[in-house]
Amino acid sequence: MTTLLEQRAAGRPAEAWSRLHVQARSVADYPAMRKLCHARRKLLDEGSPPAQPAQVRLALLSGATIDQLVEPLQLALEAAGIGSTIHASAYNAYAREMLDPESATVRFGPDVALVITTPANIPAWPPVMAAEAEVAAVVDEVCEYWLNLCRTLHRHARCDVVLCNFHLLPLRPLGTAGLRVPGDANRFLRTVNDALARRAPDYVHIHDVETLASLHGVYRWFDHRFWYHAKQPVSFECLVPYVRSLAQLIAALRGRAAKCLVLDLDNTLWGGVVGDDGAARLVIGEGDAGGEAFAEFQRYLLRLRERGVLLAVASKNDERNALEPFASRPEMILRREDFVAFKANWRLKSENIREIARELNIGLDALVFVDDNPAEREEVRRALPDVRVLELGDDPAEYPLQLDRSGWFEALVLSAEDKVRTSLYAADTAREQLQSESPDYGDYLRSLEQRAVIAPFEERFLDRIAQLAGKTNQFNLTTRRPSRSQLAEMMASESYLTAYVRLADRFGDNGLISVFAARGEGTDLWIELWLMSCRVFNRGVEQQLCNHVVAAAAAAGYRQLHGVYLPTAKNGIVRELYRELGFAARGSWDGADHWLLDVGRYRPVETQVTVVAEYAAREVA
Amino acid sequence: MTEQAVWDRMLEVMRETFGEDDLQVTRESSAQDVEGWDSLSHIELIVALEDAFGVRFRTGEIAGLKTIGELVGVITNRVGHGRR
Repeated sequence: MTTLLEQRAAGRPAEAWSRLHVQARSVADYPAMRKLCHARRKLLDEGSPPAQPAQVRLALLSGATIDQLVEPLQLALEAAGIGSTIHASAYNAYAREMLDPESATVRFGPDVALVITTPANIPAWPPVMAAEAEVAAVVDEVCEYWLNLCRTLHRHARCDVVLCNFHLLPLRPLGTAGLRVPGDANRFLRTVNDALARRAPDYVHIHDVETLASLHGVYRWFDHRFWYHAKQPVSFECLVPYVRSLAQLIAALRGRAAKCLVLDLDNTLWGGVVGDDGAARLVIGEGDAGGEAFAEFQRYLLRLRERGVLLAVASKNDERNALEPFASRPEMILRREDFVAFKANWRLKSENIREIARELNIGLDALVFVDDNPAEREEVRRALPDVRVLELGDDPAEYPLQLDRSGWFEALVLSAEDKVRTSLYAADTAREQLQSESPDYGDYLRSLEQRAVIAPFEERFLDRIAQLAGKTNQFNLTTRRPSRSQLAEMMASESYLTAYVRLADRFGDNGLISVFAARGEGTDLWIELWLMSCRVFNRGVEQQLCNHVVAAAAAAGYRQLHGVYLPTAKNGIVRELYRELGFAARGSWDGADHWLLDVGRYRPVETQVTVVAEYAAREVA
Repeated sequence: MTEQAVWDRMLEVMRETFGEDDLQVTRESSAQDVEGWDSLSHIELIVALEDAFGVRFRTGEIAGLKTIGELVGVITNRVGHGRR
């Protein structure tokens, strides 16, 4: 706190904000959060917060009092790189606000509507002794009540909706018998929650309060006194985890979840220092309590890797020593191949982390750093404030819990690409090797033997298309973030021309890596969406896609293709894309560069990408 | 814990809760005399006092205790009876 005050006094508000956001990432309890909110208010008095990489217009709807959530939520969102404009509707006004097409919430134009509920907002309960079928009918009624509100709001406001599910009650009037009685309140709530998760349309994202409350304990989660007194949905004790969990969910929705976890080795992945103790003496695996704890942490990391989180190493060690345990200790759960980057040397950790981000072509704000050494954590925090640094205790048994609680790797859906991501990056390394051996770049591209499938959106790829649109920052002409349902509408619409690109080369399948959508009006076609994974930038894919799009536009009778470039802090690499593709500059207005292509005069660009109807999914070299 | 000790600690808690480092109050002060003491921060104050003194206020007391003197009285009484 002193630091913040000093920095304000020294007239360095940007540093004070950055420090505030770093502190907000690790704040654990409500008194500390409140202090940070006070500090934030004072900083706000002196000027707006620095621009965040992402923005969200957030509507809050609630059947409880939520005033006390607003500031902590804004702070937690900023700590996740999201600036927010919040519209909070009145206590218990949610139904009217969601149903009325002219409501203040709809007119606010939210990107995301957050619906905060408690079991008090359950519109109907089954009689305790009701038969199974009768209870099932009430489950349908309750689910339909909430999902209908969400559907209606979505129809009016075209926004994503985050809907809280219900925590269990701290009372068990039926005792253990409740497990067998369909009308038991907690059994009923669990069934409702389960049905909500299964039936929610893709634009409704369930905030899993049931799990969150059970992790913290329902007795602690909900304080009846403050419900009676002020309709508080969550106790102050659990307010910080509640708000943080909401912020991480919204962050994931806006493409701001972390992508890569950078790990220290000694006393982080195993007990002991490999350079001093030798690989044989390291504590890892069964037979030793500490060893079991480290193995369990590695198991958790493996789960993360399997669902698409990239793992990397930044360790102060000789590389030979650092690799030794992976080769000689069968108790190790993680293998060398589980890491997409492995930096074992004596340079500053911040330098190694910067290099990892550059090699993987992802932003520093997509990185999480885990190290047991507080000095290393502080070095990275100071040098790279965008990197999220986990505040780790000194007990390896706590490591997986602390990492899990951060919520930094929150995910809403998993795509096929997530499951094979590490092998995608391993293939990238092989490509780089090939490039360094090739006499020139053209030779390299030819030897890659690239094959692409370019086709209009298909239902089976919509999850991946939405995911890519949600998180691509660099090669992204407009940085619009359409929801899955908006993409589905484009797919179904006559007036849209859509395309995705899937790419394979001699090193394997790159997956679905590029997305395009343009809206037709008469003979004019307006590009609304064009983005591509940076992993395949500069390999001819963007030119090949342009060839495809122009041909499809001509075939559909369009004469003019309009391109818009909306600059952000991150998409500088495509500023000149339209010029390079032969579009004419029309000028800049409304914060955007405008380009125009005469479809009839376009000359297809020759590329080293062969367009095919399909390639075998598993053709890996 | 003496009433004076309760009073001193309580003033610290109030300054933190309302974010006013130089807050001054008397026994007769109530919500309308203190800037930032609204219904929301009242609950925050109750929770902060519970944490600071290890006491628990009853549902009726949360709204019922209006002046600082009343709050100090209840806390002193409860802490003094070894409820810590």
